[in-house]
Amino acid sequence: MQVYLKPVKKIGITALVPPELIFACGQEPFDVNNVIPASRSYPVNKLCAWTAIWKEMITKGEIRIDSFIVVAGGDCHNALVDGQKASRSGIPTHFFFYPFDGDPQYMESELYDLSYFLGSIQKPELFKEIIELKKIGKKIDKKRSAGKISPGEAFRSLISFSDLCGDINKFRKDIASIKEIKIHMNNRVAMIGVPPIYHDFHEIAQSLGLHIVFDELPSEFIRHTGKDIKSLARDYCDYTFARPLDLRIEFLQKELERRKIDGIIHYTQFSCHHMLEDEVFREELDFPILTIQGDLPGKTPQQIKLRLEAFREMLDRT
Amino acid sequence: MIGLDVGSTTAKMVKITDGEVIFRITGTHNWKDLIRGIKDDEIISTGYFKNSVPHKATLTEITAARYGVKHYFPYADVIVDIGGQDTKVIDIRKNNFVINDKCSAGTGAFLEFVANYFKIELKDLGLLHSRAKRIPDINNTCGVFAISEMISQLVAGFSKEEVIAGMHYAFARRISFMIPEGETIVLIGGTVKNEGMVSALRDILQKKVLIPREPQIINALGALKYYS
Ligand code: SF4
Repeated sequence: MQVYLKPVKKIGITALVPPELIFACGQEPFDVNNVIPASRSYPVNKLCAWTAIWKEMITKGEIRIDSFIVVAGGDCHNALVDGQKASRSGIPTHFFFYPFDGDPQYMESELYDLSYFLGSIQKPELFKEIIELKKIGKKIDKKRSAGKISPGEAFRSLISFSDLCGDINKFRKDIASIKEIKIHMNNRVAMIGVPPIYHDFHEIAQSLGLHIVFDELPSEFIRHTGKDIKSLARDYCDYTFARPLDLRIEFLQKELERRKIDGIIHYTQFSCHHMLEDEVFREELDFPILTIQGDLPGKTPQQIKLRLEAFREMLDRT
Repeated sequence: MIGLDVGSTTAKMVKITDGEVIFRITGTHNWKDLIRGIKDDEIISTGYFKNSVPHKATLTEITAARYGVKHYFPYADVIVDIGGQDTKVIDIRKNNFVINDKCSAGTGAFLEFVANYFKIELKDLGLLHSRAKRIPDINNTCGVFAISEMISQLVAGFSKEEVIAGMHYAFARRISFMIPEGETIVLIGGTVKNEGMVSALRDILQKKVLIPREPQIINALGALKYYS
């Protein structure tokens, strides 16, 4: 008897699409955002460089994917529009919506729609494997908060949980090889908002005396998981970025308290709606806040280093 | 011990002798003149080139401004530092700051642009402003568009003096958008020597606006005070 294996498809995603479901459907997720910080692109017609660059790279075939899943509802309208533009290049594209009100039934139907788009569940055993991996992710997060893993290394591994680098086994080995170190941390900083577009940001912050002990979005990547569609729905419907701001703030208050932070860096992109949240955070979160607006990827620019340094000086004397 | 502020256009040195603030200002390219005979470990540097000049310790311009202003005005709420390439607004009470370094419209470079257009010295803008009888509305907050609006007003019959006053108001309005709530605003940086711009800002803000006698040396002074 001959066995025909279906070829594995590379599925482009914008965070956060449950990678559990993509793997379970026998496909390989690829978070298109993960290539941006190292890219040298100057996209034409840009609002946010994150979406503009992946849109351009997909359209030009520089990012090779078989299908594309764009998080639309409850996250980012720039992604919604640039996702539609990317789909015009002929790549089958699915738009994934989170419920603003957190309705698990709605979430479940979205996940079923997504599994139809991906084919169907072929490897249900992978759900459990990913649950175990995310437990390791939580340990990494805890260790970095305790100064046992460098902020840069922790950030890079946590952010990779959006697609587990497309290869569960390799990813498991990668995260197992993270070395423990001992860092003396005097200024404990939480990074909220979107992840910085600069590839050396965590190292630069550390060199300037700011130790990032919490990354809001990557910590969402390890917080949610499930053993089947129903439990994924119950968990992912609580993805804070898609929910009302008050809930996100409530979550952050607890998390920041727990991590004993000294200050907050609120990072967004120019032309990102998250910037509008800045004043609310300043009202509600009782910590010194530095707001940074990034633009194009690359190294952390000098003007941003100046802001980080001044923030450190401010924390040193408070 | 001295405070040394080497910025994009000027370099300043401050020392305190018998409680008196002594300072020198020169062009950035002559910064070495300011430290002749002074050992590296007697220098606290600040400003854009703080890491490129000899120093014992460095301090950002933002923190330096706070400490320098405190020396003269201990109860200030907000500091507005208008430099040649950027403008920084520091909210002392809330421990917060914003920097405009993306757009020339709210920085000293904008007024330099205006002076260049009229082929006059930057320092003469204030005097010309005081001779204006009317102030034309120049609404554009973008530097480049404001210049074309300025030319339209000249064509429409406003005098050079009036148009300069209009530009000062456009500039001051732009800065005012960055200024938070607060009773006492302290202005520092070379650009605040321009009385025309300052009177426009006072008029727009309607708050207590204070200017140290030598607004350019505040950051050098602050760097020194921080470490002493
Ligand atoms: S940074 Fe803001 S605008 Fe850009 S992709 Fe993220 S949410 Fe969208």
